[in-house]
Amino acid sequence: MNARDSFAGRAATPVPQGLIDGPFHQRLAALNHARAWYDWAGYAAPSVLDTVEFEYFALRNAASLFDISPMRKFRVAGPQAEAMLNRMVTRDVARLAPGRVAYVLWCDEEGMVIDDGTLFRFGPDDFRLCCQEPMFGWLEDAAWGFDCAVTDETDALAALALQGPTSHAILKAAGLDLGDLRPFAHREVAPGLAISRTGFTGDLGYEFWGAWDAALPLWDRLWEAGRAHGLRAVGYEAVNIARIEAGFLTAGVDFQPVHAAERLHRGRTPRELGLERLVDFGKGHFNGRRALLAAEKRGPRSRLLRLDVEGHKPAQGALIYHGRRREVGHVTSGTWSPTAKRNIALAEVRAPWGTTKSGDLWAEIYTCEEGVWERRMVRARPQRAAFYRPARARATPPADF
Amino acid sequence: MSARYDAVVVGGGHNGLVAAATLARAGRRVCVLERADRLGGMAAGGAFPDGTPMPRIAHLLYNLSPAVLNELGFGAGGPVETRALPTVCLDPEGRHVVVRDGSPVLADGRPHPEAEAYRRLAARLVRFGGLLARLADAPPPQVSERLADLAGMRRLGPLAALGWDFRKLGRGDRREFLRIVLSNAHDVILDELSDGPLAGSLAADAVRGAWAGPRAPGTVFSLMYRLARGGGAALPLGGMDAVIAALADRARSLGAALRTGAEVTEVRVEGDRACGVRLADGEEIAAGAVLVATAPGAAMRLAGPAHYDIEAVRRLRNMRAKGTAAKLNLRLDGLPEVPGLGPELLGGRLLLAPSVEQVERAFDPVKYGRVSEAPVIEAVIPSLTDPQAAPHGGHVLSAIVQYVPHAPEGGWTGAARDRLRDVALAALETALPGLSARVTAAETLTPSDIEAATGAPGGHWHHGELSLDQLLTVRPVNGMARYRFGPAGHYLCGAGAHPGGDVMGAPGRNAARVALADATAGEAAA
Ligand SMILES: Cc1cc2nc3c(=O)[nH]c(=O)nc-3n(C[C@H](O)[C@H](O)[C@H](O)COP(=O)(O)OP(=O)(O)OC[C@H]3O[C@@H](n4cnc5c(N)ncnc54)[C@H](O)[C@@H]3O)c2cc1C
Repeated sequence: MNARDSFAGRAATPVPQGLIDGPFHQRLAALNHARAWYDWAGYAAPSVLDTVEFEYFALRNAASLFDISPMRKFRVAGPQAEAMLNRMVTRDVARLAPGRVAYVLWCDEEGMVIDDGTLFRFGPDDFRLCCQEPMFGWLEDAAWGFDCAVTDETDALAALALQGPTSHAILKAAGLDLGDLRPFAHREVAPGLAISRTGFTGDLGYEFWGAWDAALPLWDRLWEAGRAHGLRAVGYEAVNIARIEAGFLTAGVDFQPVHAAERLHRGRTPRELGLERLVDFGKGHFNGRRALLAAEKRGPRSRLLRLDVEGHKPAQGALIYHGRRREVGHVTSGTWSPTAKRNIALAEVRAPWGTTKSGDLWAEIYTCEEGVWERRMVRARPQRAAFYRPARARATPPADF
Repeated sequence: MSARYDAVVVGGGHNGLVAAATLARAGRRVCVLERADRLGGMAAGGAFPDGTPMPRIAHLLYNLSPAVLNELGFGAGGPVETRALPTVCLDPEGRHVVVRDGSPVLADGRPHPEAEAYRRLAARLVRFGGLLARLADAPPPQVSERLADLAGMRRLGPLAALGWDFRKLGRGDRREFLRIVLSNAHDVILDELSDGPLAGSLAADAVRGAWAGPRAPGTVFSLMYRLARGGGAALPLGGMDAVIAALADRARSLGAALRTGAEVTEVRVEGDRACGVRLADGEEIAAGAVLVATAPGAAMRLAGPAHYDIEAVRRLRNMRAKGTAAKLNLRLDGLPEVPGLGPELLGGRLLLAPSVEQVERAFDPVKYGRVSEAPVIEAVIPSLTDPQAAPHGGHVLSAIVQYVPHAPEGGWTGAARDRLRDVALAALETALPGLSARVTAAETLTPSDIEAATGAPGGHWHHGELSLDQLLTVRPVNGMARYRFGPAGHYLCGAGAHPGGDVMGAPGRNAARVALADATAGEAAA
């Protein structure tokens, strides 16, 4: 018996070591033929279960299930919950109606983005904020002086994303007819189970929010209903292709969340990320507002662009040049888009090349085929719209496929 | 809305009055709103039950800013007549030391063996203090990267960027300055002097009002602060109350309205700009700017945390402010005969700090919520110098007693307060035997009483510890050092702002000047 086991004569409770299981782990483990797990906020999350291609095409052509339980989930409730959140995020929370979800950002005092996430409103005084980064201490600080309470629901709430064109048909087959649920709406469909029409793929899709210990029956119910509709469980790699197509940013990849940045000047403003439409200067004070007003006067230092890259070699990590010579930025996320049939990328490009004179941009792509390296300079053309934005994602009621 | 002012000043302590007078002198319509029934804040007077004036909290002038006096037209004489007092370092063994103009002698007239060493040390500290005094009369300069990094203080470059004017220092002085500026008073004093009442008096000056013993880093800085204007202490004739009355008269004659019994409960903000205040009785007063002389955290709460960035609120909440100075005011029917201390010396600034070591030991108990059993005391008997101090006869003794916790174990019960009085009296007895027998009335003010009376958090002398992490560009907190305080038109103008506390007037004056510059810029743009 070692010292720890005998401590105070008590039986030792095992301390989990390494990655821990999420609420759907049993099902995911059974399906994970690739045995590829990665660390998502301490949970074992699948990067691939089978092959990326199968998973991606299920996601775009049929439907996919992806465990998003490791997301951080915080309840903010109380008479001043709205005021507290309005002082924190850059959008006007007063305009978010109960039953609706908003994509929000929040910045530090210098106007640098801390994180982005989705904000659910349940009632006048009751909200949930979902995001990637651990945030509880920050939220406690943000709530100081406001009559509201912040609770970390991360480990109490299982969450599952059902995404793809047949997702609504699967809902119906599962006995959940939410044909009238509009994009960015949410609803409690049974005690303790809420469904929102949200997602990270740019397509028709839903997210489920329910009790951790009721997770497996939920999975089984959807799995059963999905049999006839091409449903597949997917890992992060497939989702990542879809989110780049949809033009969504990933914290830590496309921008450095400022709380995780140790070096000076690595944070970015909403405008530098192309998200200025999410900033409402007219609503009253919010965190970083004064700094952002000053930053508006100075102009952005760089801009995150959507680029259409020549050729088909993914531009991940490529440097961006102006006029083939001057290095002006780098690709943060790049992939071949099987659906758009284009080579797409998100890239941070310095001002003025990323802002006012964004022509004549080139990506320097290195490839290695069987030990032979090649370097190519290819055109990179800025795009306004997302690479993939199907109308079905917005139709209400959604069509069955 | 009842009235419209160019500016309202919240808090009628001396800084609020100086701010108001500075604004009024520039032609602005100003109103001062003071919660208490009398003006003065920590410098307000009081009275013993028999009507004799009481120097309630602050009692001596060490640091009044000449810039304030000049600008408000008081001339070289200052707002009231004063008397420079010698410092008398009391020795329980009776070998008292007297310091006049930076030179010590023994109380019996014999030369002090360490007179030369003391003179050199004190002169050097006064020279260094002079650098601080020059910094006091302007907002701390803006630095792009923060100097919260104290390592920066070890090099001249960053300090020069902070506005330290080293040109007047010789080479050796500059090196010496860098060597000691971040160090502790204990080491710097005992490098030059042997431990005893003379060394102890410097240690006591280094920690007055502080939550720190002389071994704490930063205490050399606070000693320089104390010595910034030569290191003397002056007794205002008519008491601190006369200083406040003179400042109030000047503000009034320049056109400022002064109201007492007016508690501000909210600073109103519209469109990210302070636009007036609301009083406890619901009255609203509109104004183009609001200057707040309360402690920084309280000033933030008046506008509401919603108008501040989250990081700023966190810093303000965590600003350290634990007062350790209590006040004991004694009414005496006469003075004891103290061998070796004639009336001239008894009328001096009496310091009970027998050694550096004992000052440090006096600090220990307060960490655990207990009162020092052998407190460090600065006492003055104004009635020996100023006939107005005890017009009905007898005498008055005013004592600052350290270290006393703000929130002692068990709370400030009546018994705890009586014990504090007895401990302080017993300590005074060691040097002034027979004193207790002459006491006819006593008022004890704990740090918690001082907080209740003035709003200063923890009853803190400077509204917030004057420590290396809370001064210059990071006073009151990083990002707010230049008096502008959150929403446009909102300013901090009390002791919590740069340069800090004492009856000095610099924060009030500097803040008013920033507000004036902003208003002028706004008018030019409009
Ligand atoms: C025990 C003790 C002894 C001291 N002795 C000396 C000394 O001898 N010499 C010296 O130079 N310094 C001394 N000091 C320090 C000095 O008194 C202070 O640093 C200085 O007086 C602070 O002035 P101020 O105007 O900034 O703030 P304060 O004098 O604290 O004034 C703030 C004012 O704001 C008012 N106020 C607060 N909230 C509101 C509200 N909501 N609405 C309206 N009004 C409000 C308060 O009532 C108060 O009058 C001493 C301090 C202590 C604790």
